[in-house]
Amino acid sequence: MSRYLLKRIFGALIVMWAVATLVFFMLRAVPGDPLAAMLFDVGDPEAAEILRVKYGLDKPVYVQYGKWISRVLQGDLGNSIYGSRISVSRIVSEALPRTLSLAGLSFVIALSIAVPAGLISAIKRHSSLDHAVTFVAFLGLSMPDFWLGILLIIVFAANLHWLPAIGYAPLSEGFWPWFSHLILPSIAVGTAFSAIVARMIRSSMLEVLSADYINVARSKGLHERRLVLVHAFPNALIPVITVIGIAFALLMAGAVVVENVFAIKGLGRVLIQGILNRDYPVVQGAILVVSAIFVFSNLLVDVLYTVVDPRIRYD
Amino acid sequence: MKKKTDPLLEQEKTRIKEEWDSAYDYDPRDPLFSLSQSEMSGPTLSRRSVLRLMAAAGTLTVAHLLPGVGMGSAQAAAKKGGVLNAGWAGVGELRTLDPAQINQVLLFQVASNVLSGLMHIDAQLVARGDLALDWTVSADGTEYVFALREGVTFHNGDKFTADDVVFTYNRSKDPQKSIHSRVVSNIIDASAVDDYHVKLKLEKPQASLLGKTLERSAGRAMTIVSSGALESMGLQQYGLTPVGTGPFRVTAHTMGQQLVLEKFDNYYDPDRPKLDKITIQPIIDAEPLAGAMEAGDIQIIGGNPVAPELVDRFESNPDLVVDIVPAPGFQSVWINPWRDPFKVSNFDKPIDELKKDKGFKVRLALAKAIDRDRYIHQAQFGRGVPAYGTINPAMGFFFDDSLGDRSEQRFDLEEARQLLADAGYPNGEGFPKLEIKCTPSARREVQVIKNILKTNLNVDIGVRTMDFPVLIDDFRTMNWDLLRIGSGGDYDPDDGVVDWMQTSSKFNGRDRDKAKMPFGTFSDKEVDALVDAQRFETDPDKRKAMVQKANLLTSDKVACAFIFHPVDVLVHHKSVNFPKESRIPGLMDMDRVTIS
Repeated sequence: MSRYLLKRIFGALIVMWAVATLVFFMLRAVPGDPLAAMLFDVGDPEAAEILRVKYGLDKPVYVQYGKWISRVLQGDLGNSIYGSRISVSRIVSEALPRTLSLAGLSFVIALSIAVPAGLISAIKRHSSLDHAVTFVAFLGLSMPDFWLGILLIIVFAANLHWLPAIGYAPLSEGFWPWFSHLILPSIAVGTAFSAIVARMIRSSMLEVLSADYINVARSKGLHERRLVLVHAFPNALIPVITVIGIAFALLMAGAVVVENVFAIKGLGRVLIQGILNRDYPVVQGAILVVSAIFVFSNLLVDVLYTVVDPRIRYD
Repeated sequence: MKKKTDPLLEQEKTRIKEEWDSAYDYDPRDPLFSLSQSEMSGPTLSRRSVLRLMAAAGTLTVAHLLPGVGMGSAQAAAKKGGVLNAGWAGVGELRTLDPAQINQVLLFQVASNVLSGLMHIDAQLVARGDLALDWTVSADGTEYVFALREGVTFHNGDKFTADDVVFTYNRSKDPQKSIHSRVVSNIIDASAVDDYHVKLKLEKPQASLLGKTLERSAGRAMTIVSSGALESMGLQQYGLTPVGTGPFRVTAHTMGQQLVLEKFDNYYDPDRPKLDKITIQPIIDAEPLAGAMEAGDIQIIGGNPVAPELVDRFESNPDLVVDIVPAPGFQSVWINPWRDPFKVSNFDKPIDELKKDKGFKVRLALAKAIDRDRYIHQAQFGRGVPAYGTINPAMGFFFDDSLGDRSEQRFDLEEARQLLADAGYPNGEGFPKLEIKCTPSARREVQVIKNILKTNLNVDIGVRTMDFPVLIDDFRTMNWDLLRIGSGGDYDPDDGVVDWMQTSSKFNGRDRDKAKMPFGTFSDKEVDALVDAQRFETDPDKRKAMVQKANLLTSDKVACAFIFHPVDVLVHHKSVNFPKESRIPGLMDMDRVTIS
């Protein structure tokens, strides 16, 4: 198992390096001079040239790459080329907890809805309850998260004044400020995710519930609740975990748009701003972190399989 | 709820004319601009002197003399204290508040509440010292000695002394450290005479020194920074939480999330600021901004202009106040003179001869086919002034409100169609498919223009959006058919005609292939000469005549298709008292703001 983990971690690092390298060169291939745009209003071409030399952007791309990768290996992600040149590590480390909070709370809310909904839908198959859950699931899948977010702001913030419309409060300011700022964006992000997971659970449960061992257990007189929760549900989880692992990564992607709607400076907004401003170091650093989240969350999913199904072992 | 500017009374018009004439009544050869040394020296510059220096610097506009902007209004007894929550529109983060690196007005809106200059022009257009208490000027106008205010401290407790002025100057003149080094290029030396006296030596007399370069709100290069704080905090942190001597201090800044300003208890004016605290949240999108305002999360909007589609909504809200004033600037559709079917390689002809050029006919047809009233109604929700040149209503005296009736670009559908037909494209047949480039935020407005041209001329124009850095690249290299871009912050004719309409203008195809394109967007010798001459003309009537003639020429010869002049919209909750003396378009000085 440990050999397997080491191999996977090594593979993950290779993937991260490949993604970062691809992004590095792609960014420089994208048209648009970041410094000229930044100083357009100043209208001083000399100022742009001075900054270009200062930031090493006048060097050949391969030289820039060599310097950047050697600094990354030393743990230095570089500095933003805008404003006061804040370090990328600082920008990312401030943004990441917000995105993780948003994605995490979305995950919890989504699963809280999806698991019971999927179970009920499977147990009460073809009933009106099943149809209702299916309808709501498809509705959730159909609604764009940014649209849902704006709707939630209009209803719960602007009209009812129950919750704040925008912003973020760290947990250090108290649970309620943190939660009240995140509940609306989490619902916006998590709705589609919960719909996917609910449908997946339903489908997987139906397959398991029709298995022979379940029929045997039922005929032996096992209580239905125990049958479903202890015998059927854990076995139905394996394909669901795969979806959850991928969907969590998609949650992070969905957070990008919703962060903009709710004015939360998370990793998504850092990336968007960085790309729009051609702030190369920020985009490179943020992409590294995002790719790390993706590859390691997939690794986590693989490890979780062994917990859920003891038959699965890696060498 | 809407506030409107009252029409000018006759006596106000008389006053404005008298002050204007007095401002321009000087000998340009006089290093002191026909003011005496005592008039130029401290502890205050009279309104008359300020207006004279502004006129000599070319920055005086009638907007400065209008009531409600130039004159102070009696303020009701204001209640001190309270917390104001502000949303900064259209921006994702406040990247730096270091004046040496600030390149956007929305950043300086914040910085001018935290940092100070040597001078400050108050509501009555009297220049008083901000950090300077008094000053003298030499007879040749090249040497200034400032007596600095004693007992002033920075937010970190460091004493403000002459060394800080010298430090700021040395930092600002270094292009490696400041992007505004050119602003102080006329200052050849700054030295501390003692702890509270500093001497500035100029290469030549400079009318704009006191009113602009050293002014608290207008100046950036000489906005006083704390050398001690820079050293202890480092550049990065200083840019996030600058230490100044202003009425507010930065107590927290989570970039992209929230900036917190708190009252500086040791500010040198015990009556200011009025508020205890201001929180500023950058909100990039329009709908969340509106939601936050309606939810009460924020009580005032600063930053970039409020999206026009929100203004009606705000006006219909009885809890909100919407104040609209003319904004300085113009917006246009640029037509590439080096591309078919509107190619014009020589504008140096009388208009009647130009009209024989096929390319010019197409340019003029496009410009004349744009119904500006319809555009403003559909794209700007009825807010804006039709534009026919770079000179905008905020320039007051220079603005020619008859231009819309006289310009060759004035909307005339029949004539536009005839011109297009004469150019070989009757009813748009055979007209090539062209592209208009714009930023994503301008897409909706450009779609309106596209629809107008389709309806009126039956020509198909594709819309291509691109990020601002790419758009700027293309604009400067002339890589476009049509392009939508404009200008803001234009208070003086120079900001329009000098920056855009001369052959050598900085926005006139600067990075084009000069071998293939002798000029960028436009070139006319007569316009070049008029614009050059008006810069040094001291007689206001003559300058006005030159400016208006140049403006008319650029309009008639379709330097671009001018579309509209924007308005400045300030939105705040009715509990917020935003006094008129603070109501300067583009700025958000909050030291006099109170909450009821």
